[in-house]
Amino acid sequence: MHTFKRAALGAAAMIVVTPAAATDVEQDELAAVRAEIRAMRQAYEARIAELEGKLERLETRSEQPPAAVAEPAAAAGAPAAQRRRVYGNEFNPSIGVILNGRFSAFSESDSEIAGFGTGEEGERGREGLAVDESELNVAASVDDKFYGSMTAAIVREEGEDKVELEAAYFQTLGGAGLPTGLSLKAGRAFWTLGYLNEHHSHADDFADRPLPNRVFLDNTYNDDGVEFSYVLPTALYSEIGGGLFRGDDLPFGETGGSGPEAWSLFGRLGGDIGFNQSWRIGAYVLSGEAAGRVTNEGDVSFSGDTDLYVADLRYTWAPTGNARNQELTLQGEFFRRDEDGSYDVGAGPVRFDDAVNGGYVQAVYKFRPQWRVGARYSRLQAPEVPAGLVGSALDGGGHDPEAYALMLDWTHSEFSRVRLQYNREELSDGLQDDQFILQYIMSLGAHGAHKY
Amino acid sequence: MRYVFTVAAVLLLMSGMARAADPVQVFACEPEWAALAEEIGGEAVTVFAATHARQDPHYIRARPSLIAALRRADLLVCSGGGLETGWLPVLLQKAGNRAISPGTDGYLLAASVIELRDVPERVDRSQGDVHPEGNPHLHLDPHNIDQVAGELAARLQAVDSTRAGLYQDRLEDFRRRWQVAVADWETRGARLQGLPVIVHHQAWHYLIGWLGLREVAALEPRPGIPPTGAHLEGLLQTVRSQPVAVILRTPYAPPDAADWLAERTGLPVRVLPYTVGGAEGVDDLFTLFEHTLQQLESVRVTETITN
Repeated sequence: MHTFKRAALGAAAMIVVTPAAATDVEQDELAAVRAEIRAMRQAYEARIAELEGKLERLETRSEQPPAAVAEPAAAAGAPAAQRRRVYGNEFNPSIGVILNGRFSAFSESDSEIAGFGTGEEGERGREGLAVDESELNVAASVDDKFYGSMTAAIVREEGEDKVELEAAYFQTLGGAGLPTGLSLKAGRAFWTLGYLNEHHSHADDFADRPLPNRVFLDNTYNDDGVEFSYVLPTALYSEIGGGLFRGDDLPFGETGGSGPEAWSLFGRLGGDIGFNQSWRIGAYVLSGEAAGRVTNEGDVSFSGDTDLYVADLRYTWAPTGNARNQELTLQGEFFRRDEDGSYDVGAGPVRFDDAVNGGYVQAVYKFRPQWRVGARYSRLQAPEVPAGLVGSALDGGGHDPEAYALMLDWTHSEFSRVRLQYNREELSDGLQDDQFILQYIMSLGAHGAHKY
Repeated sequence: MRYVFTVAAVLLLMSGMARAADPVQVFACEPEWAALAEEIGGEAVTVFAATHARQDPHYIRARPSLIAALRRADLLVCSGGGLETGWLPVLLQKAGNRAISPGTDGYLLAASVIELRDVPERVDRSQGDVHPEGNPHLHLDPHNIDQVAGELAARLQAVDSTRAGLYQDRLEDFRRRWQVAVADWETRGARLQGLPVIVHHQAWHYLIGWLGLREVAALEPRPGIPPTGAHLEGLLQTVRSQPVAVILRTPYAPPDAADWLAERTGLPVRVLPYTVGGAEGVDDLFTLFEHTLQQLESVRVTETITN
């Protein structure tokens, strides 16, 4: 260290001295400095030679087995300031693919849900071997304020593979500067409306959605819009929120106007009971106007106001304290749809003003870390049929559609799951459809956390 | 509608109010960090532990109560290193709390202070649920606890500068007591050097490294994949061909695989507490290591008797 200082001084002296060398007066002094630098260089060379020698000796020694390994305590001496990289995701953005396929066998060829208009996705799946929705998800934090995500699903509809934009949204992060607890989401997303609607179908506990979700939401409500949510500063989890939507997706359809045609409001409460049980309840309203909601492959159309009221409940219990090993999940949703408008089944509009109820309850039990069993019951209430619709697809003949499902699934790792499901569906009077579904769900790459 | 807006406005104002005299709300992902926060913060902090010792910290449901706790937290302390990727990000997003968003003083991951072991050269899920960042079970080396304690005190001081002196004093006091305890454990641990063990999951690598134990095999064929019959049969051969002293598992790991192997080999099984609350009487970091040492020492004794 000392020699370094001297060398630096010498170098500095040279810089200062060189222009002065032109004058004769300071020749003597210059000679003195030169002599000093020469001496320094010699001292340096000697020191370097010494160091080289040392290095050589060290190198030969390290080829032999080390005599003593450093104490573990030495590692603790490392300064805490040494920051290690901590990855949020290995790639930016993170990319995930869901592979999803099934084999289905049905006892009945017909599967109309009598009395209700059903959209494309709410219908029964294809029989035989089939690839289901394959999802591609790309997501990342945009910056410190925003998070963005896009999910495209490749689906087979009407004999063609189509790309559907399931979700494409941005969402504010904690660092966005909004008041604590407030967040905003905009774009196309699985909006907050009951339990299942917020979740991607690959995370479902059953191979298909229950009847009310199929009929009232065409599986999911993922309209274009904005939604805010505010988590209240209470010890109990409580959240309120709402949104404005384009009104293009079922239960609405074909917006004519320029403004948002639909809005929503919701509130949720949740908490723990002891260490191993938790619960959440919620209430939701979705209201809007449809200019032309087309269902039943174009046979039925509705225009008018639709209000959808949803209530949900979810309860989880880990009997041993560790949800990884054993867990019981109970879940239920109740729907009420109030419509005021007119239905057209091809013979001119027929006035319709009525409300129908629907719902499901399910229980899933994980009895071993990789195995789960589940049962589900779902039901729809048949609507009153106006005179003009008697005999049409909307005439259920007073039969309440209902469906039972039993499932067993095996989850090898977090990323792969194989499921066997049996359904018994009684969707129209006198019709009893027994269905067997064998399904696989594989998840590649980044796989984000799931909500409660 | 106006009423709703008024209520919302009042709530927003309330949530933003400074709470200088209130205790600092600490959200700890795992019990070990909750215990450490209590050591450093004392009365000045209120600690919420998101998980308990019987839960596997890899698999935690993003349950509503955690959102509520994160929403109100001033400081978050977690292991990091990918341990919580399955649940923490979604909670943080929902809570919308700027004070604990990544990159702020209120967001402390222990893995950001410690050099992690087992950083894989290749990340491929056919190798199991490997953490690309390295092994996140870092708290089982007491020197790491010491390092994280220093950073935690610094973060508490940053978040709550009015009580900076208190945190400094408590840190120094903790470190004094900790160093004495660690010296004792290391003296006793010297006898455990080279103890051949079978582990359930790679949750023990830091403990093994610290005490110089020797990991012979793991019950999980790949990290995060539950033990299979074929893999256990293979282990049976391993145990017959080379000395193994004990099978170690966490309180949250299912007992069947360890018991199966123990039954066929006569090997003792030790359920080490793994974290605070993992055994009777393990209610802080000191008793955690003390209990762990005692469990391992008990193995050594029986082994010498049987030989």
